[in-house]
Order: sequence, then structure tokens, then C-alpha cells
Amino acid sequence: MQTDFQAEQAEDQPIVRCLLGMLGTDVHSKGIRTIAQLLREAGVEVIYLGEHNSVQGMARAAIDEDADLVGLSFSSAAYVEYTRQLVAEMKRIGADDIPVMLGGIIHPDDHQALYDMGVRGIFGAGSKTADIIAFVRSMGRPR
Amino acid sequence: MNDQSTPIFGNLDELEVKLSRTKSWGGLETEASYGPADPQEPTYAKKLGDPGQFPFTRGAYPKMYRSRMWTLRNIVGYGAPEDTREGLEMVLASGGNGINIVVDPLTTQSIDPDHPAFGPEVGLEGCSLPTSRDIDRLLHGVDLSKVDTAWHWAAMAYPMVAAVHVMRGQPLATLQGSNMPDMLQETLCGWGERLVPTMLGHRTTVDEIEYSVRNSPRWALGMPQAYDLRERGLTPAGEIALGMAFINKTMEDLIERGLHVDEVAPSLAWVSTSDIDFFEEVAKFRALRRYWATTMRDRFGAQDARSMRLRIACHTSGKSLVYKQPLNNLTRTAIQGFAALCGGVQSLEACTFDEPVCVPTHEARDLAIRQQQILANEVGAARVADPLGGSWYVEALTDAVEAEAVAMLARIEQIGLLTAITNGTIERMMDEHNLLVQRELDEGERIMVGVNRFVPDEEPAPTRFTFDRTNTEKHVRRFIELKQTRDRTRWRDALRTVYAVARSGGNPIGPMIDAFVADASVAEVWGAVRVAHGYSYDPYNALEAPLDYAN
Repeated sequence: MQTDFQAEQAEDQPIVRCLLGMLGTDVHSKGIRTIAQLLREAGVEVIYLGEHNSVQGMARAAIDEDADLVGLSFSSAAYVEYTRQLVAEMKRIGADDIPVMLGGIIHPDDHQALYDMGVRGIFGAGSKTADIIAFVRSMGRPR
Repeated sequence: MNDQSTPIFGNLDELEVKLSRTKSWGGLETEASYGPADPQEPTYAKKLGDPGQFPFTRGAYPKMYRSRMWTLRNIVGYGAPEDTREGLEMVLASGGNGINIVVDPLTTQSIDPDHPAFGPEVGLEGCSLPTSRDIDRLLHGVDLSKVDTAWHWAAMAYPMVAAVHVMRGQPLATLQGSNMPDMLQETLCGWGERLVPTMLGHRTTVDEIEYSVRNSPRWALGMPQAYDLRERGLTPAGEIALGMAFINKTMEDLIERGLHVDEVAPSLAWVSTSDIDFFEEVAKFRALRRYWATTMRDRFGAQDARSMRLRIACHTSGKSLVYKQPLNNLTRTAIQGFAALCGGVQSLEACTFDEPVCVPTHEARDLAIRQQQILANEVGAARVADPLGGSWYVEALTDAVEAEAVAMLARIEQIGLLTAITNGTIERMMDEHNLLVQRELDEGERIMVGVNRFVPDEEPAPTRFTFDRTNTEKHVRRFIELKQTRDRTRWRDALRTVYAVARSGGNPIGPMIDAFVADASVAEVWGAVRVAHGYSYDPYNALEAPLDYAN
């Protein structure tokens, strides 16, 4: 399947720069590390910030790294509040044109609130690798 | 503080899971264990031995659960100490007989609840316990010399709980309970060098074990904490390999400090997991006990049978559980728990079926307890020691798991454990394992129900645990007030002693206990140790140290 994903990367598609990281004290990084590698193999340029980023640091990095997309992973129930803080901070520094996607343990009851904040993609437990890759690719911007 | 009147904690003996019957369900009488006609036959005696005999492959005790029933544990922790106390009382009322406490990520990382960056997380995934006073609130009326409290928490749990015992006027020698002093697993499982630098983490583990075995021999040490390592990304053989690498390095350092293996090993218990492959997990527990016994005797010169006889605490795998159709997780945890019992563990916690969704709901926790009661009373899981011993399949798998573990351990030790951690070898190994599993799932080579096959189309959103945050907010205000009203001179002197002892290369655990008695907080005490070793006070670099350590 690894080769299938690579084959799907068409010549004329823009290279997507995807910033991945975690906020707060959450240490459950297994999922995001695996996704980072699978995205890389699918031709995505992944900037992996790892665990324990501040909201300010993450928003700043989205601009500094010229990211097309910011991906966050949560396994802490504080994700609604942290996402709200991140979206507000990105707006404050003029990065609100960069889409945000979430992964991890995201309860369906919170989906609407997150979409209302401006979150573009939610990939909770049971999401398919192919769907995540397709979504990330669709977020590429012409440069 | 000496009020022992709260009745709910007083009758733990009556709540114990008990062996209700030695006959089969159909009425046939059974023996405590079964074995070959000639137990002296050399291959049997060397590789297996009867239960309770070296190398303990077949179990730690001759009669296993007939003589010592496993402890039915259930983890609890959310909100303020008052909230978690309420949860503990519900567990005990359902028939759980161990008090297992999970603290929130801030507390486990030695971050205080008034840290400017993490307000939304206080008490969310565990109980917030920044001071010894909070632990005293949680365990008000619980006699720490009689009731066994188990802390899912690394090195700081020990000095904080010890401080409560001291504040209550009790000698450390009578302190009971357990924690998981393994800090290296934290470095590897998402904490990273920023929160737990490898060298400081390892040193702190050695400090805690040394202090505990010298001063509170009844306190048990969950070491290695192999559960999180497995969850992070290891096979059963990998669990034995990396766990033994931790044990070997830690034991070597303790011996260098003048301790004998027989002073240390009897206090240790392996914190393990049980994943979904029933036979492979049974084989792992058996291979683990055999390899442990051989290592203690041959590598470290143990003479005391208690050093060679490994006790295992098991929590079923959280990672193996599936978000979709979460009630299927009751099937999974029942089989995982049964594997742990067939493998001869000493305590068992089953994940609740809603583990992939949220902190356990009260209903899910109740069902997790019932599950073990069904295993104990109906299934007959406790009746006979090592019920699968002698199965050609299980014996072959036991040998295969051990052989793979030994090869992997040799590779780690050739690099050197601490080097293999700091240079990223171990982390890469675990990432590669996870990637392999994900590829197999994506390709359909490995099938998980509800993940990549047999996925229900639509289902209602699962119920999740919620609780009122009022107590948590009050708890944070109370914490800030304590910092303003405590005896400042005593507090400052105590922290300076922690700093000075750590800086001079001594064991700071004793001074840490004193600092907790003087109302220092978890961030202040760990911060003093961090600064003494040249690290920033606050690992997140948002706070300055609250005092000048040197004057």
C-alpha cells in the first residue's frame, strides 16, 4: 500500500507542507509519529514539532514553516479548549488562512463546535490512513 | 490526621476476590497443579519446574491462587482529591479490593495546577495532587501502614506519600503501598528529554529504589514499568528485552551503591500488560518469570528465592481496544484478563470498555470489576496453577518469546541502555514496530474488528465521563492560598537542602520527603532537583524558580 500511495502523488500536484504537533502535557505521541511517517512516504513534507508545544509556539511555527496545514493530535479531553486557543492565536498573528486538522480521541459530540471554530478536518479513532492522506493532499496551495 | 473512622476503607479483606470452589463447574475435583510423572526429569526441572520452584516458569507460588488470590484492581482518578475519593468509595463498594490512584498528567510531570499554560488540563485525566496535604485529603482515614495504595505514578509518588505517613506521626518502616519509580520509560513514552532527561531520570529511579529499600521495605516498587513501553510500541518479546535492560542497568547501579541484589529484588514487581493474543501473552508471562529468575541467580548472584521469584502486576492493554462498537471491548478485556491469570499474575486491572473514549464511566468500571468476578467464580481461572503448562504449543511459544527477547536484549546491551535511549535507537525501534503494525492494518494483513473490517456504519456517539469542575476550581484556589500561608522559612530551608544534596551528588529522596512535609509543591521539589542538575526549573520554560537556592 505504501507504493500505492506514492503512485497516487501526481506530477502536477503541489507539494503539501504539513505541520504536525501536540499541545499541552499530552504524552500519547504514538499515533502522530506513525502518521507523520506515513504522510512522508506519501510525498507530504512533514514538519514534526513533537509533543508539548505551547499554543503560541505552534501558531508561530505555522507561519515560520510556511505550512499549508496544521495537524494536531490529542488524547487529552482538553482538546476543545486548546483548539479554541490555537485558532484564536493563529487569527491574532494573521495565520487564520492556514487550515487546522485534528486527530486522536475526539468525541462526536464536539465535532460541530470544532468545525464552528474553523477546524477543517477531524480524524478520530478508526480513521483510515488513505482518507487522512487524501485530505492532507487536498490542502496543498499553489506556490 | 489520625482519624481512622471512615468505614468504607476499613473492610478491604471482606471485599477480596476469593477462590470459591476447587471443583470444576461440572463437579470434578481438581488439584492445585498438574505436572509430569517425574518432576525431577532434568529438562522439566531446568526449564519449567513445578509452580513455586525455580525457575518459576509455572508460577511464583506452589498453590498460586489457592494460596494467594490475585488482587482485583481498578484505577480511579479525576478532578480534585475530593472527587477521586468519591470514585474510590464506589470501586470499593462494587467489590474492588485495591486502591489504585491515577494522577493527572500535570502532577505526574511535576507541574503545579497554577502553571500558566495548562489550566484546562488540571484534574482532567487523573487526580490533581500537587501537595502532600492533597494526598492526605484523598486518603483521610486510610491507614498507610495497613491499606495498600497503588500509585500509577513515577518517582515523586514515593516522597509525597511518605511525607503524609511522616506527618501522621508514623515511622517509614511501616509504610505500605507501591509506586512505579521507572522514569526511563517516561523519557521513551512521550515525556522526552525535555521533561525527563535520560541521565537524571535514571538517577532518580536509582535514588528512589535505594531510599525505599533501605527505609521502607514494605513499600513495593513497580519496576520496570513495562506497560507503557508495550503501549508505546513493543512486542511481548520486546517487553521482556527492554524491561530486563532497565532492570539490569538499575541493579548494577544499586549494587555499586552497596546494596545486594537480595535487598532489592524482593521489593520489585514487573508492571506488565496483556494484549489480545491469548497464547502469546501466556507464553510471555512464563518466559519472563524464567528469564528473571535465571538473571537474578546467575548474573547478580541472588541467593534468596524471593529475589528470583518474580511478581507481576498486570493492566490489560488500552491500545488494543477499539473505539467503534465499544462494548466489543468487554470481549477483548475478558480474554486479556484470562491470559494474565493463566500466566500467573499477582494483580489484575482490566481496562474499562470505554477506555478508547474517555476516562472510565462509573458503569464501565463496575463492569470491569464484574468481569474479574466472573473469571474468579464462574470460569475457574484461579483453580489450577499454570493450567496451560505442558501444552506443546504454549511451551514452544514460551521458548520462542524468550529466545527473541534474549537476542534483542543483547543488541540493546551491546550499545548500552542509556546510549541506546539518548541516541534514539530505542525510539526508532518502537516507531518501526508501530509503522509495521499500521501498514499491516492498512493492507488488511492484520484484521481488527471495528478498525479495518466489520466496521459498523453508523452508531450513536458513545457516552463519556463528565464531572463537575467546581471542586477542581476550589482545589486550585486552595493550592494558591497554601503557597501564601505556609511557613516560608521552613519551606525555603527544606528546598535548599534538596538542592544542596542533589547538587553534591547525594540521594535527595530524604530531603524531598522533608520538603513535602514543609508544604513544598511537587513542581517546587522536582524543580529544585532539576536546577541542581543544570536543567531549567520549569521544563516548559514558562516559570522561574521561586527562590534562590544558593543563599
